[in-house]
Amino acid sequence: MTMAEHHKHDRHDEQSLVEQHAVRDSRAGLPAGPPIIEELAHMHNDGVVARDETVGRTLWGDAWRRLRRNKLALIALIWLVVMVTAAITADLWVSKLFGDPATINSATAMSNRLLDPSLAHPLGTDTMGRDMLGRLIYGARASLTVGLSAVVISVAIGLLLGALSGFYSGITDSLIMRMTDIFLAFPYILFCILILAMLPTSARGIGPVILSIGLLGWPSFARLFRGSVLSVKENDYVDAGRAIGASDSRLMFRHIMPNAIAPVIVYATMSIGGAILTEAALSFLGLGIQPPEISWGRMITDGQRLMDTNPGLVFWPGLMIILTVVSFTLLGDGLRDALDVKMKD
Amino acid sequence: MADHLLEVDDLTMYFHTRDGVVKAVDGVSYTLDKGETLGVVGESGSGKSVTALTMMGLIQMPPGKVERGDAKFKGRSLINMKEEEIRKIRGNEIAMIFQDPMTSLNPVYRVGMQVAEPLMIHKGMSKRDANKQAVELLRLVGIPNPEARVKDYPHQFSGGMRQRAMIAMALACDPDVLIADEPTTALDVTIQAQITELMQELQKRTGSAIIMITHDLGVVADMADRILVMYAGRMVEYGTTDEVFYSPLHPYTWGLMDSIPTQNLVEKTALRPIDGQPPSLVNLPSGCSFHPRCPYAQAKCVTDVPAYHLVDGTHGAACHFAGDPGFVRGCSLEVMV
Repeated sequence: MTMAEHHKHDRHDEQSLVEQHAVRDSRAGLPAGPPIIEELAHMHNDGVVARDETVGRTLWGDAWRRLRRNKLALIALIWLVVMVTAAITADLWVSKLFGDPATINSATAMSNRLLDPSLAHPLGTDTMGRDMLGRLIYGARASLTVGLSAVVISVAIGLLLGALSGFYSGITDSLIMRMTDIFLAFPYILFCILILAMLPTSARGIGPVILSIGLLGWPSFARLFRGSVLSVKENDYVDAGRAIGASDSRLMFRHIMPNAIAPVIVYATMSIGGAILTEAALSFLGLGIQPPEISWGRMITDGQRLMDTNPGLVFWPGLMIILTVVSFTLLGDGLRDALDVKMKD
Repeated sequence: MADHLLEVDDLTMYFHTRDGVVKAVDGVSYTLDKGETLGVVGESGSGKSVTALTMMGLIQMPPGKVERGDAKFKGRSLINMKEEEIRKIRGNEIAMIFQDPMTSLNPVYRVGMQVAEPLMIHKGMSKRDANKQAVELLRLVGIPNPEARVKDYPHQFSGGMRQRAMIAMALACDPDVLIADEPTTALDVTIQAQITELMQELQKRTGSAIIMITHDLGVVADMADRILVMYAGRMVEYGTTDEVFYSPLHPYTWGLMDSIPTQNLVEKTALRPIDGQPPSLVNLPSGCSFHPRCPYAQAKCVTDVPAYHLVDGTHGAACHFAGDPGFVRGCSLEVMV
C-alpha cells in the first residue's frame, strides 16, 4: 500500500467512524420514549458512563477474554485439553487401534519388537512389541493423575495453613511459618526418594508417589497464600466487611479468599508441571510407578539401553514430558496475566 | 443518664507500638440521642476516626488498648462486650460508611450481593429475599434502574454511585446509629453535596442518629446538631452547632474557621492556614498539645494540660482561658475579621 493509499484508507475509516457517530447521535435524538430519557438524565446526573457491553461482564469472564488473547497460553491450553481428552478416553479406542499397550503378548512380542513407524504403529513399537503411541497416551494418564492429585493435596494444605497464618498474625503465624521454613529446607526430590525407598517394592505405585510429592509441596503454597492474604487483609472492603458484622470465617472465605487466590491458582498450574517432572524422575529411578502401569519416566528407563539404535524409545516420552511441563508453565504464565486485575485494559 | 442512645464517657485508647505509646484517643466524652447528628471535626490524625473504630471494636487489640472510659450503647458497654455480641451490633444497630468508596466495595462480588450481605448476616434472610431487598435499598439511595444495577460489579459503578451503594449497605438493617467516616472526602464537590443531601433526607425518613466524621467544617455546618472538635486525640471543644460556629471558645476552632475559604469576589485574600504541623501522637507537646501552634499561648499553656470544662450550659472547651469572656471575645474577633 502506498503512502497516499494509506492516507486515503485512514481518512475513509475516519469518515465511516464519523458517520457511525452521526447515526448513533440521530438515534439518541429520536424520541425514544420516556424511560430511556429518564435513565440518561440520571446517568448525567451522577456521572455514570453509559452501560454498553459491560453488562453481565464477570471477573472470570474478563480473565478468560484476556487469556484468549495470549497465543502461547492458548496453544498450551489446547494441547493440554487434547491430552486430557485422549487420556480419559484411552480405554475406549487405544487397544482397538494399536493393541494393548500394557501387557506383553508372548506370541507376537518378538515379531513386533522395535518396529519402525508405520500406519499400524505411528511411532513404532517398543522392545516388547507394544505400540509406542498407545503407551504414550497411557503414560499421560499417570502423569496427569500424579500432577493434578499431588498439587491438589499441596494446595489444600497450603491454603489452610497460609490462611490461618495470614489471617491470625502473632503466635499462630510464627508457628506455621517456622514449620514451613523447616519443610522448605528439606531437599525435595531426595526426600521423596527417601520416603519411597523405605516402602517395600510391592507397596510402590502411583499412590505413594502422589502422597510424597503432595505432602512435601505445600510449603510454597502456604507462604504464597499467606503473603497474599496479608496484603488483601489491609483492604478497606475487609474492614467494611467487619463493620457489617461478618464473622472471621465469613471474612476469610467470602471477603479475603476470592481476592487472594489468584497467585495460588497461577503457581498451582505451574506446579503441576513440576510434579509431573518429579514423577518422571522417580519412575525413571524405579521408585515411582511400577510396570505394568505405564509412565513416561519408566519408558525412558526402559529405552535408554537402546538409545543408540532406537532413539525414539527415549525421544518420544522425553518430548511428551517437555511439552506437558512447558504447557503447564505457559498456561500458568497466561493465567497470571489474565487474573491480574491491575493489568485491566 | 441511661436514656441516651450512645454515651461515650472519658474514652481513652492508646496504641502500644515499638516506637512508644500513641495516645490516639484521650478522654473523649459525648452523647448522642435518637435522630440526632453529631459532627466530629479535626485534622488528619486527630483521632476522630479512631474514636469511632474503638467504639465499634474494630481496632486491633493489641497494639491498641482501652486505658479507661467506656462507650455505652442503649445502656450496654460496647467496650466490655464479647466479640460475638458486638458482631450482632455492627452493621445491624450501628453501621458505618467508609471514606473511600472506590476501595470499600469488594471487587469480586456483585453490588447487590454486598448490599444484601448485612441482611443475610443479621436478619437471616435467604439470598433471594436479601437480593430483592437490595433492589429497594439501591432505589432508596437514588440509584437509577436498580433492578439491573444490582447485578453490576463495583468497577461498573462511578464513585458517587459506589458511595450511594455503601450507604445502602449501611442502611440495610435500619441501624440506630450511622457512623459516616468522611463519606464525602473522596468524592468531587458536586457529588459531595448530593451525598450530604441524601444522608439528611434518609435521616429524616429513618430517624437514625448520625456521627459525621469530617475535616471539613462546611460539611457539618448545615447537617449537625452538635459539633465535637478534636485535636491530637483530645476533645478541644464540644457544643451545639450554633454555639461552636457563633461563639467558638478554643483557639484551634478559631483557626479551623479561619481556614475556610471565603467567597470574596472583590478582594483576593490568601488562605489562612493554621501554622505548623499536627503533633506526633507518640511525643505530644507538654501542657496543652496545641500550644506550639497557638498564637495566644502563654507560660501556663506550656506546663499545664488544660482540662475540658463546661463554659456555659452544654458548651465547653479544653483551653485555660475559655472561661475568660474578655479573652475569648477579643481574640476570636481578631481572627474572624
